[in-house]
Amino acid sequence: MRILPPKPTLVILTLVALMKAPDAMPAFKNYKVLDWQTIPAVLDFAPRKTSAVPIEDEQLRMHPDKDAASYKIFRLSDPTHALDHFYEALQRTETRWPGAITRIVHYGDSPTTADLITGDARGLLQSRFGDAGHGFCLLAKPWAWYGHNGVDLSGDGWTIDPASMSKVKDGFYGLGGVSFRGNAGARSNFVLKDPSHTRLEVSYLRQPGGGSFEVGAEGRTLGSVETQAPAVEPGYVAFAIPPGARRFQLRVTAGQVRAFGVSFEKPGPGVEYDSLGLNGAYVSVLARMFDARHWGRQLRQFQPDLVIINYGTNESAYAAFIDQSYGKELKEIVRRVRAALPETSILMMRPMDRGQRDSSGTIGTMPTIPKLVTIQQKTAMETNCAFFNTFLAMGGPGTMGLWYQAEPRLVGGDFIHPMPAGAKIVGNLLYQALFDGYSQFKLRRVQERFAKAPQGEVVPK
Amino acid sequence: MVLSSSAYFIFLVGAFFLYWPVARFRALALAVILFANYFFYAKWDLFYLALIPTASTCDFLIALGLQRAKEQGLRRALVSLSVLLNLGILASFKYMPFFLENVSRLSGRTAPEWHWIFPLGISFYAFQSLTYTIDVYRRDAQATSSYLAYLASVSFFPTTLAGPITRVATLIPQFEKKDKALSSADGGKALFLIALGLTKKLLIADYLADNLVNRVFDLPKLYTGAETLIAVYAYALQLYYDFSAYTDIAIGSALLLGIKLPPNFNMPYAAENIADFWRRWHISLSNWLRDYLYFSLPGLRSKWKVFTYSNLILTMLLGGLWHGASWNFVIWGLLHGVGLAATRAWQGFAGGAKGDGGWRRIARIFLTVQFVCFAWIFFRSPTLDAALAILGRIGSLTVSFENIPAPVAMVLAIAVAAHYFPLKWHGWVVDRFAATPFYAQAVALMLLAVALQYVAASGVAPFIYTKF
Repeated sequence: MRILPPKPTLVILTLVALMKAPDAMPAFKNYKVLDWQTIPAVLDFAPRKTSAVPIEDEQLRMHPDKDAASYKIFRLSDPTHALDHFYEALQRTETRWPGAITRIVHYGDSPTTADLITGDARGLLQSRFGDAGHGFCLLAKPWAWYGHNGVDLSGDGWTIDPASMSKVKDGFYGLGGVSFRGNAGARSNFVLKDPSHTRLEVSYLRQPGGGSFEVGAEGRTLGSVETQAPAVEPGYVAFAIPPGARRFQLRVTAGQVRAFGVSFEKPGPGVEYDSLGLNGAYVSVLARMFDARHWGRQLRQFQPDLVIINYGTNESAYAAFIDQSYGKELKEIVRRVRAALPETSILMMRPMDRGQRDSSGTIGTMPTIPKLVTIQQKTAMETNCAFFNTFLAMGGPGTMGLWYQAEPRLVGGDFIHPMPAGAKIVGNLLYQALFDGYSQFKLRRVQERFAKAPQGEVVPK
Repeated sequence: MVLSSSAYFIFLVGAFFLYWPVARFRALALAVILFANYFFYAKWDLFYLALIPTASTCDFLIALGLQRAKEQGLRRALVSLSVLLNLGILASFKYMPFFLENVSRLSGRTAPEWHWIFPLGISFYAFQSLTYTIDVYRRDAQATSSYLAYLASVSFFPTTLAGPITRVATLIPQFEKKDKALSSADGGKALFLIALGLTKKLLIADYLADNLVNRVFDLPKLYTGAETLIAVYAYALQLYYDFSAYTDIAIGSALLLGIKLPPNFNMPYAAENIADFWRRWHISLSNWLRDYLYFSLPGLRSKWKVFTYSNLILTMLLGGLWHGASWNFVIWGLLHGVGLAATRAWQGFAGGAKGDGGWRRIARIFLTVQFVCFAWIFFRSPTLDAALAILGRIGSLTVSFENIPAPVAMVLAIAVAAHYFPLKWHGWVVDRFAATPFYAQAVALMLLAVALQYVAASGVAPFIYTKF
């Protein structure tokens, strides 16, 4: 009787020999299918590491339900105190100056348009400094992904032109980057979870031949607006919101109206955080697609204390663009913002890590990502802007792989878009960085006062 | 140790070379199998080395008691004890976190932490174990007096993670067989099945998961209705190829040790109705649910049809819950239960005549696939809201295929074509492979391994059904 089944044994032994061949013959080194180091690992019965110290911090950060205060702080880079204007506004808000509203506008791409990250940061800032309202909302969803936490939005009858698709030649996209054109019957409905808003402001375009629209709350008309004007210029109209109202409607009543969005506000003091994201957006949207003058007037109307520029993910697929144009386009954005609002603080925020699989199946970082970070950081320094390195704050190279394998999953299967739990982590990181910067600012101000005061004199608060 | 990992194949080759030299010696052969089984469990967690032998010993003793006891009351008590033991293991290791979470939600108190969670889906062991004691209770099988044979059979490693759920009573005779041998044909078939399983898993299931299904189910709002619908079909294919890949590797591994396991799939998406689907999909679970749950429910012989329908629904509802403690699985089970009951009612109404062929048959298959895919949406989605989001996207009726690149479309087409590959042809290919010389088999397997390494760059993902 045979000891081993002959043919299957021969097949297995020949297969093992073939697998060993690449180790013996360098010409076949690219055809390795077995890592021989695996053999001793088969005998490794070490229990799974569930709470090892090196990964404890990562787990803490990755756990979305943890208290925001327990997250490790990753500091902003702001050597020239570029955010002082913003911090001053925040201090007025914190010290409850009547009507002191700190306004942040955050320009970004697909996570921003879904109010991911921004929604989480908004929630944290508003719970710490006070809630000054939802801020700017588009009139309809340009894509299913668009959203604003706490606002249920629907629109009907509009022709929608987002700046990222560059269909509108005049570059008039309002503050939010989307132009809405509607004839009589076009409408937008907003349902707010929070009934304590007191004011809404519609931004639209005054133009020759412009039609009219009316705004209502809870089924009652608040007012009508004629958009007819001798020349093309931005228009703004504000209405007081009846107490307790949650449902609002904007309806085109005659002619053609071109509008951009509605801002829902509270009297403050508090923080208003506008999430202004466009699907597939990249730096050129603000640097080229937006008309500089029109955008400047929008910025002056809304008077943000901080402008966050958060692009890079969509550019990462184009290495040549990054090398040749990315830095220049960033500088152009800064120039445009400064031209409109010389005092306003600007923060350049690196987008999240972007993953891709290599030939071994490992999810690594796209090679262009570190280069993007370097260019953005350098540009921030040169243009006197603050910089937040989201990529490193998340964990640096390979983070997307970790986040994809995390439970719950923190990033989608495209290794680009965060899941709500992942967005919450990044939102927390941003909030912590801003709050840390603000704390340092206050400390610095106290130290400056002490330095100026003569010895023995009590420094007033 | 995932069945598609290199560690598993090193382990399997080790088991092969340890087992066959001692296969003639009954006790030694059983000891080697048992050693391999427990080695496999220990790779997941050392705790299984205490849990599995203890539970198996209890069931072994209970079966001996059932064999000897004459009194019906005592027999009933013994089989109940076995059911309690195995379901208790399931409850402790699978459903306790869900239970504690809900108790905490109702009471408003913080749920105590439950540390007894282990990585292995223990339900396949529990179900397999129950086949033995229930069969002995029903006198469908004889209890074995060989402790070693029982332990080796009930925890047989290829079936541990995701079946096929095999009746222990049919495994024991194979393990106790004296003249064990592995023919060239069976050896070739075993290697072919393992290779086929790896191809299905890495080339189709993981590829579709990584490049389409996970993306759409994670963030459905980013995709059009048409893309979302394609992702649902892709998930149906992914699940089939993932699970049938596991089954192929399990059957091939067992066959390499001379043990024959039952098939688990038979072209499920060619089913003409839901009852037919369950005769083709996860066959061992369908049989288990039918034999050990459905037949045990009251009212089976009642003249009232309502009992038949309600029992079908209840059986599938429990089958759904077996997959996991969530509302999504309840809905999935309910859909299939209602589908089965409706099929039964229709067959009763139409006289149960076999339908005609041609386009009517194609229409029946098409409709059955739509129903099954609709139910898969609840099965795949992590929450009810997520399932509704998928349905919402499909309902948006937006059409564009920008996110379905050509390679994904090609893999989808291959997956569909391979699924409908006639069984006769499949058998012919297996026979041809088994008949080729050993060196040709080795070279073919090596080429396949190299190709998989390059084409399927997705690493080793766990099999979907191992979590159940």
